[in-house]
Amino acid sequence: MNNSLWPALDAWLMASALFGPFVEFGFMRRALAGCVALSLSAAPVGVFLMLRRMSLTGDAMAHAILPGAAIGYLVAGLSLTAMTIGGIVAGLTVAVGSGLVARNTVLREDASLAAFYLLSLALGVLIVSVRGNSVDLLHVLFGTVLALDDAALTLLGGISAVTLVSLALLYRPLVLECLDPGFLRSVSRWSPVAHYGFLGLLVINLVAGFHALGTLMAVGIMVLPAATARFWVRRMGPLLVTATALALLACFVGLLVSYHADWPTSPVIVLCLGVLYMASLLLAPHGLLRHQRPAASHLRG
Amino acid sequence: MTTSFARRHATLAALALSLSAFSPATWAQAPIQAVASFSILGDLVRQVGGERVSVNVLVGPGSDAHVFQPTPTQARQVSQAQVVFSNGLGFEGWMSRLLKTANYRGQQVVVSQGIKPLKDAGHGHGHNHGHDHGAADPHAWQNVSNVMAYVGNIAKGLCEADAAGCDTYKANAAAYNEQLKTLDADIKTAWAAIPVAQRKVITSHDAFGYYAQAYGVKFLAAQGVSTESEASAKGVAQLVRQIKKENIQALFVESISDPRLIAQIARETGTQPSGALYSDSLSAADGNASSYIAMMRFNTTALVQAVRGR
Amino acid sequence: MHMTTQTPPPAIELDNLTLGYERHPAVHHLSLTIAPGSLVALVGPNGAGKSTLIKALAGQLRPISGQLRGLSSQRIAWLPQHTELDRSFPIPVRDMVAMGLWHQVGALRRFSASHRAQCDQALAAVGLTGFEERSLDTLSGGQLQRALFARLILQDAPVVLLDEPFAAVDNRTTDDLLALLHRWHAQGKTVVAVLHDVAQVRAHFPLTLLLARERVAWGPTASVLTRAHWAQAQRMQEPFDDDAPLCEAETPAATAAPHDHKHSQGHGHSHSHAHTHTGSHGHAHPSAHATTTAPKATP
Repeated sequence: MNNSLWPALDAWLMASALFGPFVEFGFMRRALAGCVALSLSAAPVGVFLMLRRMSLTGDAMAHAILPGAAIGYLVAGLSLTAMTIGGIVAGLTVAVGSGLVARNTVLREDASLAAFYLLSLALGVLIVSVRGNSVDLLHVLFGTVLALDDAALTLLGGISAVTLVSLALLYRPLVLECLDPGFLRSVSRWSPVAHYGFLGLLVINLVAGFHALGTLMAVGIMVLPAATARFWVRRMGPLLVTATALALLACFVGLLVSYHADWPTSPVIVLCLGVLYMASLLLAPHGLLRHQRPAASHLRG
Repeated sequence: MTTSFARRHATLAALALSLSAFSPATWAQAPIQAVASFSILGDLVRQVGGERVSVNVLVGPGSDAHVFQPTPTQARQVSQAQVVFSNGLGFEGWMSRLLKTANYRGQQVVVSQGIKPLKDAGHGHGHNHGHDHGAADPHAWQNVSNVMAYVGNIAKGLCEADAAGCDTYKANAAAYNEQLKTLDADIKTAWAAIPVAQRKVITSHDAFGYYAQAYGVKFLAAQGVSTESEASAKGVAQLVRQIKKENIQALFVESISDPRLIAQIARETGTQPSGALYSDSLSAADGNASSYIAMMRFNTTALVQAVRGR
Repeated sequence: MHMTTQTPPPAIELDNLTLGYERHPAVHHLSLTIAPGSLVALVGPNGAGKSTLIKALAGQLRPISGQLRGLSSQRIAWLPQHTELDRSFPIPVRDMVAMGLWHQVGALRRFSASHRAQCDQALAAVGLTGFEERSLDTLSGGQLQRALFARLILQDAPVVLLDEPFAAVDNRTTDDLLALLHRWHAQGKTVVAVLHDVAQVRAHFPLTLLLARERVAWGPTASVLTRAHWAQAQRMQEPFDDDAPLCEAETPAATAAPHDHKHSQGHGHSHSHAHTHTGSHGHAHPSAHATTTAPKATP
């Protein structure tokens, strides 16, 4: 009986538009695995980013990381280790440096970060222009989720695991730092740990993102699911879960669309995230239309 | 009778003397300043021009002409040049702007004039080109016969710029064309040993259309012509299917494109990558493809070996 | 006695304390002692340095000079004048209030059922039963202030510092919260509150500090809130004087024992250890310090 059951199932799966590509091709399975790892970690980080009003900071940090990755490329070619280390070093330097300046001088976080990341970007472009050629920057810009090898998948998985564990440990200080930083400062010393720890998570997730999706798109998988989830739910727990689910959905659909419609993969994934965002903006309970319209009926008390 | 012979002799002697006045020994002449758009073209111009021409190459070895950004030094070289050589067929999308910026009013030679261009092979991928290819595939130099036409155009261009050296140029061109004829024959011989059905190669760059047509080899690509475009899942999937179905052994990573994707395809199909081919540029002076002829020989050897399954 | 058998908490001692911003003193040479378990009102005209003093007591501001003793060994619950609370944060009231239990659960331990019960009790104590699941942005100003007080209850700290706690709050809420202050006082907590409503102070606070950048009067409320003292306080110079010379004030404490100057970082002012009065300051020093043990008023 088994003999006739499983081949039929196999054939059906293969033929189905939804699962066929993943059953047939190893590279599609790898792409999906990479996206799953990335979604699980980047989406929750994106939720905190949004709640701390740092969504644009994510984009600035992506620009700050780029030169480090470019320099890693110059030193060792398309080496995963070199580019990852370069990106992380550049990102952490900018994050910590701008944080120190913001906490200890009259300058606020936004101006301090802008100063640092612009410096980092200019330095990176200068170094690459002098030592390398224009092709190098493009290689750094466009990661490809279709070309994830074992090392890349291990890296993504590792970053995902570290992020999830850190978020679990840092959850309460992080929430409190967003909610009432003055209170946190008055009751504990976790404030700088939460602040810098979060920036560290942001950096490693951006680095993971740029290996999979390229630096242009890496921020998208952080910021868009969080913003979209906000239209649907109003509590932390559900926000985190919803954002992650949205990211996973967009990756799955994006890979399928790229497969069936023959479009480049990382822009399609981010566009799927965008479509989900627009749909939620219009239709979700806290989105544009239903938020503005008064309820059809009201309660007595 | 003797007087007319002596007069002719004298005339000849006078002619010889006056001609010798124009020889390089008596009149130190500065070399013609020429600019070639990319390294392959630079090599060809040097072969034809010899010592009379000083060539500056814009897109050097290892660089990508599709995303080239000229430096101020290069703009200056262009403005001081007497003749500028470009491939044409849409290869140098940045050339017209560069010439305008450098205020260049000298001679322009498009070396691909007169050859029969191939249509740009689409392969059904979603190309997002950063430049406009028009409808033609620009990599005409992959067919040695086209390069012989290139050489002719180069010689003509140099003759117009420097009439005094025209004989030298024509002689150099003829000699080089002999080498090219030999090269063409050698390539054809090399492929003759391989059955047609086995002549299938995968590269990550759609640059070998002319080679395919001239020498009867089938090239399949994962990405479009431009290195800027990103892969789509469908494109990669189609390629993997094809490799598996037709059991293709030859998998090449092009010298200026993303090797990660090629490695992924190799992993998927069990075919190992066979190294790199030179498509749009020469290698460095100490590399395998330091001249056009060396490049074509290297490519052909690598292709034949890979197809044989070594 | 409401104290347990533990050792009594230390008194809070302010020793020649100068607090300020960029070398200008907001609080100038303040010395006094607050006995444990006091219920103190901090009053004074605008710009008198009241918030600055509270911030320093809360450990959020380093003194320019002078010392602050007795607080390092105690936990402090501080309600600032302008809370940095983000009201749009997606969290229910109970969870926000539960942050007051940080001293028990810290960053990592789980909230048990008993903790949740404590939260509900605290909310009931401030009259917010039924609000546990509401999100913060649905609360009115008074309800939010009550919720913040509930958090203070849960903090269960021996020292409670309140900076204008009733500023934007209606009368009924104010009355309820004042009752809460009295309960804390009965429990033996030290409570210091910045207030503007003099009638409130007279009615509810046994001890008062009248501050006008310097100590104008300190002690039992009735003796502090006199017309003479108010007039003195009004004469205080409010804006910082950009042309003020260096302060070289001599106090008995300076000559008696070597100072441990806590200069705040980044302030590069010179402060010679032997101070001498120059005649250019126009303030009056009270001739005698108030007694260090103020009588406790029982509610």
